[in-house]
Parts: sequence; C-alpha cells; structure tokens
Amino acid sequence: MRSDIIKLYKDVHTWTGIVSGLLLFIAFYAGAITMFEAPLQRWASPPAPFGELTPLEDSQQLIDRVLADYPDARRGYQIVFQPSAQFPARMSWQLPNPEAHDHDPPEFMHANLTADNKLIVAGSEASPVSQLVDDLHRQVGLMLPHEIAMPIMGSVALLYGVALVSGVIVLLPTLVQDLFAFRLGKNLKRLWLDFHNLLGVFSLPFHLVMALTSVIFAFHDQIYDAQEALVYRGENAFIQTARDASASPASGDKLSPALIAARLQEQQPEFEPHRMIVNDAAQRGPSLVVFGSNPRYGNRSPDGGVVGLDPYTGDIVATDYMPGMQSGWGATITSFFTLHFGSYGGNTVRWAYFFLGLGGAALFYTGNLLWLETRRKKQKKSTAAQAVEQRRSARILGPLTVGVSLGCIAGISVSIAAAKVLPALVADIGHWHTSIYYLVFVAFIGWAFLRGTALGAVDLLRAAALATGLIPLISLAALLAPGFGWNYSDGSGLVDVVASLGAIILALLGRRTAQRIRRAPHDSLWYIAPAAPLAPAEPGKLERT
Amino acid sequence: MKPFRYTSSDWFGKASAGLLLGFLLSLALGGLLARYGLGGVAPFSIQHQLTMWLVSPLLVIILSACFLFRSSAQAWLWLGGANVFAWVLLAL
Repeated sequence: MRSDIIKLYKDVHTWTGIVSGLLLFIAFYAGAITMFEAPLQRWASPPAPFGELTPLEDSQQLIDRVLADYPDARRGYQIVFQPSAQFPARMSWQLPNPEAHDHDPPEFMHANLTADNKLIVAGSEASPVSQLVDDLHRQVGLMLPHEIAMPIMGSVALLYGVALVSGVIVLLPTLVQDLFAFRLGKNLKRLWLDFHNLLGVFSLPFHLVMALTSVIFAFHDQIYDAQEALVYRGENAFIQTARDASASPASGDKLSPALIAARLQEQQPEFEPHRMIVNDAAQRGPSLVVFGSNPRYGNRSPDGGVVGLDPYTGDIVATDYMPGMQSGWGATITSFFTLHFGSYGGNTVRWAYFFLGLGGAALFYTGNLLWLETRRKKQKKSTAAQAVEQRRSARILGPLTVGVSLGCIAGISVSIAAAKVLPALVADIGHWHTSIYYLVFVAFIGWAFLRGTALGAVDLLRAAALATGLIPLISLAALLAPGFGWNYSDGSGLVDVVASLGAIILALLGRRTAQRIRRAPHDSLWYIAPAAPLAPAEPGKLERT
Repeated sequence: MKPFRYTSSDWFGKASAGLLLGFLLSLALGGLLARYGLGGVAPFSIQHQLTMWLVSPLLVIILSACFLFRSSAQAWLWLGGANVFAWVLLAL
C-alpha cells in the first residue's frame, strides 16, 4: 500500500482515537461491570422485607388480594418466577409517574404473602448503584440529560468506528510481521504498540460490533425521524399490514401463574422464565407476556427475551422476541442487540465480554500512551543533565489520561462500596451515588494535574487500589459488626472476589510504576526530576538520588 | 509532474462531506433496499428496522473512505452526485 495513504490513515487514527479514547475508556470499563449487573445489584441492595417467596401455587390468592386493595395494580402487574434484587417479591406493579421521561427507570411496588397469609407490600429498596454504572456505560461517563448525552455518545461511537477502520489500514502492511510480535525490550514505545495492536486485532470483531451498534443506540430516533421525513413518502410510503386479528376467544377462566409456567415449560422446555407481565389494557401486543432467557440462542436484551402467551390456554402466540422462535429477519435484528449485550451463551459469554470490555479499556489507555510517547521531545546530548520540558499537549494529555481512567475506576469502586453504608444514613441514595462517583473522579483528575503524569500515576494507582479494596472491606465490616450492612450467601459474593483481585492488580501496577519512574530516562514521560527548586517536594522514597 | 500524494491537511472538508452527504446517502440506500429489495416496508416492521440499522455500517464506511478523495471539492462532488442519483432513483 502507498505510504502516503498509510500516513493519512495514521493521522485519522491518531485524532479520532485521541478525541474519543478517554470517553471510550469509561464506557468500556463501566460496560464490563454491567455484564454482572444482577449480582452487583444484589450485593448492593439491603435485604428485602418479604421473606420467603409466596409459593407459585398460591399466587392467584396474592393477585386477588392486591387487585382488591391497590388500584394501580389493576392496570397491569407482574408475577415473578425468579426473584432478584430488582423484583424481590412474588408480585409487583409499576407506579404511575406522569412526569417520568421515556428513559427513566420505572418505579415498582412489590407484594408478597407470608406463610401465615399476611400481605406485605413495600416499595423498592434495590440499590441504584448498578443503574449508575449502566448509565455511565451508556452515556460515556457523562451524567447529563439523556437528550444531550446520547448524541455525544453516538458521535464518540462514530469516531471510534472510523478509528477502528483506520487503525486496521495502518496495521495492514506489517500485519503478518507485527501480529505475533511482542517485543519486550528497551524500546517501550514498540512494546506499547505491540500490545495495542495485539489487543486491537484480536478483539476487532467485538469492537466493530460495539461501534456500529452504539451508533444506532444513540441515533435510532433521529434516523427513524429522518427516514419518515425524507424516505418513506410518496412512492415509498409505508405499506400498511393488517394487524393479526387472531385474538383469543375471551371465554372461560384465565390460567393461574403456576399453570402458565407449566404450559410454557411444556412448549419451550429450554426457556427459563423470569417473570410474567399481565396487562389487559395493552395497546400493542398480547395481554400476557413472559420475560426469560434461553442461553442457547441470542436474547434481545441483557435480561433475555420475551414471549407472548394466550392467557386462557397458555399457547404461545407472539414470538417476535422469543429466543429460538424468531423469524430469520427478526433473529438478524436481535443478533445486533445480542452481540452488543453479550446476551447469549450464559455465563461463559458474560465472562468473555467482561474481559473483552476490560481489554477495550486497556486498548484506549495504551492508545493514549502511544500518542504521548510519539510526541514526547527526545533528549538531546547537549542537555543531558536536565529533564526535558515536554510539549504542552503532553503535559495536559498525560495527567488527563491517568486521572480520567484511574478516576473512573476508583469513582465506580467507592460508589459501589458506599451502597452498604448509604441506606442507613441518607434518603436520596441515587443522588449520593452519582455525587460520590464524580467527587472521586474529579479529585483524581485534579491530583493527576497537581502531581504530573508519573507521580500522579503512582499515587492514583495506589488510591484506586484502596478504593477498590473498600468493596470487600465493607463486606467484611458487615460480617463482623452486628447491625451494620449485609451479606448474602449467594452468587453476589463474586463482587467481593472480583473487587479484591482488582485491588491487588491495581496495587501491583502502582508498585511497578513506582519502580519505573525511578529508572526512567530523563526525557521520559515517567521521569521525575530530582527535588529541584521548581518541583514540589516529593515523598522521599520516590526521589532520585 | 509530481505524483499526487495524500495528506490529512484538508480533513475537515472531506469529513464534513462524509458525515452530511454520507448520512443522506445511507438513508437513501436504505430506502432503495426497502423499495426495490423488500417491496416496501410497514412502519417499525423488522424490515424497516433493518433499513434503519443499515445507516450505521454505511456511514462508518463512507466516513472512513471519504479521506481517499483527492480534495474536499471532489468529496463533496462525488458524494453529492451519488446522493442525487440515489434520491432520484428513490423519487421515481
């Protein structure tokens, strides 16, 4: 390939990458965590007051009593087959909220019958911290109003798409020679580049999927509007198809939830039902749908797919979003969602996406380091004695890279750890989680600028290790101190294990970085000048002597 | 004569053509698929959704390739011409 084209795309790759890289770091780090949103929410949520789930056979009684006492539930309710932190009781219904936006998470009431037939009704105490992580993921770390954040996210995704294509073009001529090369040597830039290429090439399909789907997640409304305004008119006007009028004969009795579950099991044994929603006044679609998952197929949403049933016979009537029963077209569209969410193949794919997401974050971090290494001023022989004054762009981007990425990691960690403390102290928990995240995030960036890239990285890696270590420490405190916090003996203990490992890795990285800045050449980004009049006093241990 | 060499110096002209005209062209291509390939689509049907999804890969391809035009003017001309062609075909 012509060298000028390579150079051209190298420029394109550099600038699209540098503009989008840090926002993508946040999106990928938070996105990796969202793969385990359910256990995280369970870990973070206080014990629900409902006790044992009402037996499924008794749920009709529960429904009758709730419908008699709570008019809101008459507009639609759900019966939970598999309890979660979000839906801890057998029955729940949505509270009407006329002021809510489309994208606001709905608020639920939950109801359960105790063994001695007492009806317990309570609002949701599920922790909002998993939603915060999800929002950070979807809005590339910007907790701005949805209408502002989404176009920014979409633009970042477009830049990211172009960065992927241009990155591949740049690598193509030397692909074979570079791909399996991992040159551990004196040339650190070469090492970072090899690592960057290795990550990029081997996770390219994952990244292409993420870029292309995110563009649509951000802009689908605008594209639909533009299509309606410009494309589907005149000769191309939408064709109208008659709606399926095969409504069931509304006679006899509706099946109880237990019978519905049994009928569904009979027809689709591999489909694992999570909850069923009854909505007699449904504007579109069937009046009874069951949400659940089937790991053998692609599921439309992170929680799975949905099937429509006839409430009188339990026959499957709507399969548009039912894993394994979709038409070819439907399965094709679903695959775009599935590939983004990793909602196929169960826990194996969940872990794979978790590591691919962290790998993505590392790709963007190394990309920024490469930018810095390429632009740093090399030391001339004549000035061997002094540190090299780096360009302003490097003096800004260096601390920014370190501060944003480690600030994001630590901010999320501290905010998660706070979940076991906040409910006892404050009322508006969601607001506190967001504030804590930003407080830590901004403090990290500030500290990075105060201390410079190298010393900032060492301090902040240690601080991020401590922040992440807070998660298992809080759990430990809850275990030891009676009346404080909570712990569950289920899969949510995973959160403590992963956080402990994360803290250890961050601490080791901090140690390595501290060693490195002691050995760094004078023109390195990681070089720390010996205590000079201009530099602020450094802790003795980091000083060069 | 010196052979032509690409540079990134006129990136803004090319990228803006790629973004604006590329978006319109992607819309038109989706419409052409709907009309001539799928025999029309019902609103928000799965086929309609597919023509919407198509915008993303097409736009990324056009945005990535637009730097291969020799100048901003050529980018606007060629992508503009492709748009005229596609939209006329759609309006027929």
